Order: sequence, then structure tokens, then C-alpha cells
Amino acid sequence: MDTVKNELFAYVKENTFKETDTLQSDTKIFVEGIFDSMGFALLLDFLETKFQIQAEDSDLVEENFESIDAIAEFIQKKNPALV
Amino acid sequence: MSKPEFSRDILKIQDMETLVDQLTTRIREDITIRHKRYGAVIGLSGGIDSSVCMALTAKAIGPDKMLGVMMPEKDSSPDSEELARELAGKFGVKVIKEVITGALDGFGCYTRRDQAVKEVVQEYDPATHKMKIGIKHEGKGSKLPPLFHLTVVNPDGSEIVKRLPSLQMRTIIAASNFKQRSRMSLVYYHAEQLHYAVIGTPNKHEVDQGFFVKFGDGGGDLFPIGRLYKTQVYQIAEYLGVSQEIIDRTPTTDTYSAEQTQEEFFYEFPHDVMDLLWYAYENGYDPAEVGQVMGMTADEIERNYRNFERRSETTEYLRTPPINDYIFI
Repeated sequence: MDTVKNELFAYVKENTFKETDTLQSDTKIFVEGIFDSMGFALLLDFLETKFQIQAEDSDLVEENFESIDAIAEFIQKKNPALV
Repeated sequence: MSKPEFSRDILKIQDMETLVDQLTTRIREDITIRHKRYGAVIGLSGGIDSSVCMALTAKAIGPDKMLGVMMPEKDSSPDSEELARELAGKFGVKVIKEVITGALDGFGCYTRRDQAVKEVVQEYDPATHKMKIGIKHEGKGSKLPPLFHLTVVNPDGSEIVKRLPSLQMRTIIAASNFKQRSRMSLVYYHAEQLHYAVIGTPNKHEVDQGFFVKFGDGGGDLFPIGRLYKTQVYQIAEYLGVSQEIIDRTPTTDTYSAEQTQEEFFYEFPHDVMDLLWYAYENGYDPAEVGQVMGMTADEIERNYRNFERRSETTEYLRTPPINDYIFI
């Protein structure tokens, strides 16, 4: 789980245009404006490629994507072998 | 001064005659004094915005100093041309037609777009299928940003809808934007040839929410309706005698082969609702007060305020002119 979270931290820091000094695993990444619409689309591409998961339309809810913690849990649900 | 009470009539123009007089005076001054041009060129789509801009400009400088340019391409609705021609005739404005399909072919607009569509929906064939893209919010009240979805319409009318991966989304948008940019190039060709100014036709929502193509339909030398809400544009249309058929027409993007309203592509609300919500947001009305008038909860209003805030911020790039303060010596 920690490895996935570290990968996610690295991705978010690399790909946001916002300051990430205070970024925590429970920071609300969309509420805080860390990613916008394009950022969300790119994040989904990254998750699908990196973690070999498929996000269905029904998966695209806040509880799966609101923070790094939430995304890590979502990845675990989708691909338990990874974590 | 305290704000007026929020109501559904808050955007009703009280003194139309004075407003139209102010708009036309300003248009005349901007064209002749500010830009020092003999007249004005306008791209005509047959939609409400370009129709009102044409009518206002014709009133401001006289129709004999105007040129309307219709620029259809193979995905354009045939109604657009007919309506534009009819309206120009009514206001005495000369119109010409420039078909831009060949220019777009030259840019690879269709092939680039269709290749990206096929990468998402393999059975797509531009000869038999139609397509469009639009944004979709993931669930009511969600704080997630909207994502673009592709709709391919099969020959039997059934639809395949898929979320667009970011690369294909960007490719389809970038390729489609050749349409607006080619039109603006042509309008400037005629403007320079005649020593005229170009009338840009975006309304307030398009400017403020970034629903335009940078250096495409977001171009022009003056934006006469750039500070007017869409419902106000409709009120002016009625006053100036724009034909009822144009007024009654649902605003469409007229960009993709499948028919698509502006509401489904971008706004997510009918324009009258969008106007009131945007006005309330801009003027800091309490969500509970607005919700009561609009029949929505304060939370829904609040969510829309945040959505507007996000839209303004993410589209700031489009409104930013080239940065030119590199003054180091």
C-alpha cells in the first residue's frame, strides 16, 4: 500500500501546477484545485496504465478519487494483487 | 448601494432603447476612432449571437459598410446558412459564402479527429456514423471535475458513449478547433482586404467561462455582446427584429457531425438558468436566497458556485493575451 501511495505522491507532485509542500495523503486534491478537469483525465490514464486497472463510469465517484488515500484504496479494490 | 433582491427577472433589460443606443455608439467609435477602419466584417453562423452582433453593427455604422461571411464545412447544419442569409437580407448586409471544407482537409482536421475517434470506438466510420463529444459530471453534488465523453451515433440511430482518454480528447478538440481558427483567418482576410474591423461574437458566458477557441471564435477587434448575458442577447434580438426562427433555435456547437446543443457540450444548464446562477455567483448572492428562487438547495447552488470558480480559473489561459513584459534591459 505504501509503495502505491508513494507512486501517487510522486505523480501528483510531478503533474500539478500548484504548490505541494503541504500535500498529505488525505488532502482533497480536487477541492484544493491540485488537479482540474485535464488533470483528472491524465490521472485516470496514469492509473489505468501504471496499475493495470480499468476505471468504469460507475467508479468515477468522489470516494474513489478525492485524495491519495482514496485512490490507493480504489487501486487495491481494483487490483488486489498489486498491494 | 445594497444589492437588489434576487429574482428571476433580475436580468431583464429595463431601458432597451438607451442600451442599444449606448452599444451602437460604442461600436461606431471603436470601429472608426479606435481601430480607424472603414467598416466591419462578421462571421455569420445563423445563431443568435452573430445575428445580434450583425444587427447592432448594421445599426451602428450602416449595412453598406458591413460584410457578412458564412463559412460552412461538411459537418455544418444546412439550416445555418439559410438562416444567416435570410437575416443578412433583412438588415441589408451583403453576405458571401466561403466553404472551408477544403482548408480543413488541408489541415488534416477530419483525418486527425476521425483517427482519434476510431482509437476509442473502433467501429466508427465517418462515412456512416456521426460523432460528438461533451462533458459529463460524475454524479450530482460530486466535487470531481467533469470529464469528456465521446458519443458515436450508429447508422440505426443507437449511440455508443465512452469516456475519452486524455490523448484522444485533446486530439479531437485540437483538430476540431481548426474550424474556428480557419473561419477567423478568412474573416481577417476580408477585413484586411476591405480595411474593415472584425466583429467578435462571443457573449459574456463564452468569454468568462472560456467557451471559445483561442485565436478562433475568441478572436476579433471588438466584442459588442461580450458583457451581455445570453438572456439579454435574446431580449436585444427581439427588440432589433431578429427573425423568430433564429430566436427559437436551440444554440448548438455546429462543430461535430452529430447534432449537439451548447448545453450538453459545455454549460449543463439551459441558458436562462445558467444566466441567473452566474449572475448570482458574480454578485455574491447568498446560496440559500438563490436556491429559494431557483427551486434548488443551497448546497446545489454552492456546488455550482465552486464549479464556476473552477471554470474561470482553468480557462484563464484562454483569456490571457500573449505575455509581453519581458523587460530585462
